[in-house]
Amino acid sequence: MANVAGGPASQSGPAAAAEDAARPRRASLPDGRALLERALSLREGSIIVVTILTAVYFSANTSSFFTAANFETLLPYFAPLAILGAGEVFVMILGEIDLSIGAMYLFAPFVFYKLATAGIPLVPSVILALLCCMVVGLVNGFFTAIVGINSFVTTLGMLFTFEGLALIISHGQPVATPGAAVHQTTQQVTHVVNGVHVTLPETVNHISTFAKVFGAGTYSELIWAIVIVLVLQTVLTFTRWGLYTVSIGSNKLGAGEAGVRVRSIMIRNFMLCSLMGGFVGILEAVRAQSVQPDPAGANEILFLAIASAVIGGTLLAGGSGTVVGALIGALFLGILKDGLVLQGVNANYLLFYTGLAIILAASVSVYVTRVRRGRGIG
Amino acid sequence: MADPAIEPQKVVPPTSAPDDVLRVEHIAKRFGPVTALRDVNLHLKKGEVLGLLGDNGAGKSTLIKIICGFQRADSGKMFVRGEPYEPRSVDEGRTRGIETVYQDLALIDELSVYHNMFLRRERVHRPIPLLANRQMKHEARAALDEIGINIPRIDVAVARLSGGQRQAIAVARTVNSDADIILLDEPLAAMGAKEGAMILDLVARLKAEGRVSIIMILHNYVHVLEACDRVSMIQDGVIALDKPTAETSVDELTEIVVNEYKRARQAAQAEEARVRAGEPGAQ
Repeated sequence: MANVAGGPASQSGPAAAAEDAARPRRASLPDGRALLERALSLREGSIIVVTILTAVYFSANTSSFFTAANFETLLPYFAPLAILGAGEVFVMILGEIDLSIGAMYLFAPFVFYKLATAGIPLVPSVILALLCCMVVGLVNGFFTAIVGINSFVTTLGMLFTFEGLALIISHGQPVATPGAAVHQTTQQVTHVVNGVHVTLPETVNHISTFAKVFGAGTYSELIWAIVIVLVLQTVLTFTRWGLYTVSIGSNKLGAGEAGVRVRSIMIRNFMLCSLMGGFVGILEAVRAQSVQPDPAGANEILFLAIASAVIGGTLLAGGSGTVVGALIGALFLGILKDGLVLQGVNANYLLFYTGLAIILAASVSVYVTRVRRGRGIG
Repeated sequence: MADPAIEPQKVVPPTSAPDDVLRVEHIAKRFGPVTALRDVNLHLKKGEVLGLLGDNGAGKSTLIKIICGFQRADSGKMFVRGEPYEPRSVDEGRTRGIETVYQDLALIDELSVYHNMFLRRERVHRPIPLLANRQMKHEARAALDEIGINIPRIDVAVARLSGGQRQAIAVARTVNSDADIILLDEPLAAMGAKEGAMILDLVARLKAEGRVSIIMILHNYVHVLEACDRVSMIQDGVIALDKPTAETSVDELTEIVVNEYKRARQAAQAEEARVRAGEPGAQ
């Protein structure tokens, strides 16, 4: 738990006084030092350092990495992963896993397409498609929390089922994303060149407001990612829902004995995770202007999202994790891919290096966590 | 055949007193083929400390979990202050004023001391229900000070605390609530003598205040006689003894248990003899 606020000011009573007397060195330290210590001991601390080092390395070795244009290239690499990772963190903290987000990523845009082409307005179509995803999450949660099937098995089954269903309803054919088409018009634009007015025809792209909001705008996915990550991190750290999520992952029986509604929270988290999967699918479909019936691509996104959460310090065993960590994990993967491409690494080596980097980053994260715990004991 | 020295098992029938806060009648509970409770009758008077005794596996913890609402009985009735009480959840038990310290403590290792102390009773801000951490820290510190438990830092994860400290926090969490019926499942299990004495002092203080009624599972008969007003002993899924502590002694309690062992041995021997007798015939 990253408890940001606090400090000795809120303590009172004889025990607190005795505590101050017992540890005078600590009590007399300025707040800045405590703050620094806190930042270093953050769960995300290690991956922040690794990410910055990676960025510095690519900035030094390629001239084009540290540029505004490249930042825009980088965005679609990591923003979708950050959103998917954020949802996955809520399930992973429970000690469960959701593989079906890959299927939601594939399935939701096709549902959206079917609804929108059936005459339902765009935004309601998006909402209905996302509701379908939440129903899938409900089913995941039901089989995991109530029937008692391992979530790996449940969601693996749902992954295949709904990727299959996406292929069935799409007949395996790509479709144009509704509302995402770019209209081009030609305008006469007048320039002043050497004091002479020159009028030339120019092509102007028109993107609908819907498309700009739902993924096609340059910063649309980034803004969604940041907003979702901030909201979900707040939920995780500062609400009962988050507290109960951590409780279930840490001590499921104990949480139940204390009165936490374990099944309800588990189902809720699976629904959230599926929702994120479907939402990213729609954002990406709008951005790409087309929906591809490509389960392989969806599966790769799924595994990268889980990798983001793990690199960001969320334990597969449950009980511990952060949403912000998943964002930074996603950023790390994005920088790595982008940097390797800019460095001109042979495309065949890309996956190889990514794999090694995931293991390295996760090892650093685990090592730092262990050191942090070791220091804390006693 | 039966050894005349071995007393047969007694079964305490349902009893009640006008100032009962809790009454448990004919409670039974099975887990598959295992019968944990057969027919349990129990009552708890206002302000009373009832010691619940019994061998390992006798069903003490099961009874506690049924009373608090974590598990449901197969049959039987319960009453809180005369009103029928059929809890379907721990929350429901809590709204009727029942709080529990479980044998496994139900602490969340990853959460801080104060979050554990307020688990399921969190203080939140209005109108946006974010956790009021500062308030909870403050109240948790005050509660621990009042009880006299020394926990140096309340914003650390409980995983870092010793067994005794963890137990103390679990007890403090319960005592600090609004509950007027408190169930303590082996509150002294992980404690040293000093911490154990502190918990017993706390129970004595609560008894003196007279606001809460307590059911406490204990193993040490000396502790039972010191801390409790009355003892109930579970044997073989029924309450076999129900007496004020003033009218009983360590010797009597021990003898009941010795008798239980004798009966069990006799039953085992009879079973063995029957199997042996049956063997030649079977061939």
